[in-house]
Amino acid sequence: MRLGDRLIRLISTDRPRFLVLVLVLTFVVFALTTPDFATVYNTFNMTQYGVEIGLLALGETLVIISGGGSIDLSVGSILSLSGVVMGMLTMWVKVNVWLSALLGVLSGGALGALNALLITRVGIPALIVTLGTLYAYASAALVLTNTVPISGLPESFFALGQSQVLRIPLQVLVVFLPVALVLNYALRQTVFGRYLYAVGTNEVAARFAAIDVRAVRFWVFTISGVLAGLAAAVMTSRVASARPDAGTGYELQAITIAVLGGTSIMGGDGTILGTILGVLVITVLSNGLQLAGVHPIWQLGAVGLVLVATVLLNQWLTRRRLRLA
Amino acid sequence: MAVVRSREATVGAFIVSLGLFLEVATGRFLTLDNLANVLLSSAGTGIVALGMTLIILTGGIDVSVGSMLGVTSVAVGYAAAARWGMLPVTLVGLVVGAALGFANGALVAFGGIMPIIATLGTLNILRALTFQLLRAKWISDLPPTLHTLGLGLVLHIPLAAWATAALTLVFFYLTTRRALGRHIYAIGGNAEAARLAGIDLGRATLFIYTVTGVLVGIAALIYVGQTGIVQSNTGVGFELQVIAAVVLGGTSILGGRGSVLGSALGALLVSEIKNGLTLLNISGLAEGMVSGVLILLAVGLDLLRMRGRRT
Repeated sequence: MRLGDRLIRLISTDRPRFLVLVLVLTFVVFALTTPDFATVYNTFNMTQYGVEIGLLALGETLVIISGGGSIDLSVGSILSLSGVVMGMLTMWVKVNVWLSALLGVLSGGALGALNALLITRVGIPALIVTLGTLYAYASAALVLTNTVPISGLPESFFALGQSQVLRIPLQVLVVFLPVALVLNYALRQTVFGRYLYAVGTNEVAARFAAIDVRAVRFWVFTISGVLAGLAAAVMTSRVASARPDAGTGYELQAITIAVLGGTSIMGGDGTILGTILGVLVITVLSNGLQLAGVHPIWQLGAVGLVLVATVLLNQWLTRRRLRLA
Repeated sequence: MAVVRSREATVGAFIVSLGLFLEVATGRFLTLDNLANVLLSSAGTGIVALGMTLIILTGGIDVSVGSMLGVTSVAVGYAAAARWGMLPVTLVGLVVGAALGFANGALVAFGGIMPIIATLGTLNILRALTFQLLRAKWISDLPPTLHTLGLGLVLHIPLAAWATAALTLVFFYLTTRRALGRHIYAIGGNAEAARLAGIDLGRATLFIYTVTGVLVGIAALIYVGQTGIVQSNTGVGFELQVIAAVVLGGTSILGGRGSVLGSALGALLVSEIKNGLTLLNISGLAEGMVSGVLILLAVGLDLLRMRGRRT
C-alpha cells in the first residue's frame, strides 16, 4: 500500500496514534530549534499550563459530543468570572480560601447551568447563548474588579498550583487525572455516557428511545461550567492571583483541542484519550512558540490555523470515506 | 412581509423611547453634536450589519468581522499614509475586504466547515496578522481627505450616515426584488429544500461572505477616517456590535426571517445604547454585559413569541 494511503488510513481510523506521531514530531522540532525547550523545568511548566486548558477541553468534548450544534464558546469567560468570584470571596468577604475555591467551582457550574437553561428551556441555539455569555461573563469579570487582578491570596493555597510530587505537578495528579478518569469511565461505562453518544448521533432516534435529550444537554453544559471553575481554581493558585481576563482566548484552544482529538463537530464522536493527546499537542505547540520568542498573539493565531486545518482534514477524510464506501 | 414591518416599527419605537429616556435622565442626549456622534458611530456597524444579515439569514454567522476590520484598516492605513489617491485607497479597502470575505466563504462552502468554526479560526488568524502587519507600531499619519470621509457632514448629517442609508437601500432592493434575495431567505428557511429546488448553495454562500468582506472594507475607510489611527487592537469587539445590531433588528438566528432595514435600525440602537452608557457614566467595561444580555433577551423573546404563535 502506498505511503499516502497508509497515512490517510492512520489519520482516519486511528486518531490517537496519529496524534502521538504529531506530538513527537512537534516536540522534536522545537527541541532542535528552541533553546531551553527540552528541559525538565520546561516540561514541568508545560504540564502545569496543560492542566487548565485540558480541563476546559474535556468539558468542551462532552458538549460537542452531545451534538445538535452544541458548542460552548463561553468556557474562557466562565474561567475568568469564577476565578474573580473566588478572589472576591477570599479577599473581600474574608472567606477561607479553600472554601472560596469550592464556591468558585460551584459558581462555574452555576454559570454553565445558566447557559444550559437558556439552551434547553428557552430554546436559543447553543451558539448564540454561549456567544452572548462569552461577552457577558467576561464583561462582568472586568466590571467587578475594574480590570485590576485580585492578589494577596494566602500562600497555603498556592500548593495546589505550584507544588509537585516526584517532579510531576500536583494539579496533574490531584485534579486532572482523576477528572479525566471519571469522565472516561462515565463516557464508556455508564448509562449517561450511552445516552450522550446516542443524543449526539441521532437526536430524534434518542428521543424515541425515551432518552431525555434536554436533560443530557443540560448536564453537559453544566459540567463544562464546573470544569471551567475547576480550571480557574488551579490557575488562580498557579499564578497567585485572580485575573479578570484570565480565560481570554481559551475557548478557541478548547474547541481546537477537542476537534483535533477526534471529536466530531457534528456530535456523536469523541474520546477522552483523543482529547488528552490533543491537549498535549496544543500545549507543546503554544509553549514552543512562546519560548521561540513568537508574540503571544501568534499562539492564538497558530491555534486558529490548527483548527481550520484540522476541520478541513476531517471533512476531506469523511468525504473520501463516503466516496469509497 | 407584514411581520417584518412590525418588527422594524418596534425597533424604531425603542430607539425613540430610549432617546427620550436619555434626554430626561441626562439632558445631554438631544444635542446636535451628540446625535451626530450616535449616527457616526453607527455607520460602520450598520454597513457591516447589512452583510451579516444575509449571513445570519442563511443560518450562518461570521465572528471574524472584527479581525477583518483590523486587517483591512491596516491595508487602508498603509495606502493612505503612503499618500495614494482616495480612489486607490478605497480600492485597496474593498479588494482586501473582499479577499478576506471570500476566504471565509470558501472555507464554509467548499471546505464544508461550520461557519462558527471557520470564522472562529479566521478571527484569531487575522488578529495575529493585523499585529504582524503593524509590527507593534501604529499608523497615524493620515491625509485629511480620509478624515473628511469619516467625519464630514452633508446637510448637518454625517457623510458616513448617508453612505449607510444608501447601502441599506441597495441591500433592501437586493433582498426584496432580486432572485438572489429570495434564494437567501429560502436557504435560511430550509437549506435542503432550497438545494433541491435548484438553488446553488455554494455560490450564494460565497457571495454573502465576500460581500460582507467588501462592506468591512468600506467600514474600514470610515473607521480609520473617524479615529485617525490604526492599531493592533483595531476592530476588537466589533463583531459583537454587528451581531447585536442584526439580532436586535429582528433577524432570526435560526435563519429565514429578518430584514436589512431592521439591521440598519438595530445598528442605530446599538450605537444609541453605547452612547447612553457613556452619558450615564456607566463604565465602558459593562458594554459586553449589556450587549450580551440584550442579544439573549431579544433572541429569547423572539423564540418564545414564535412558540406562542404556533400553538
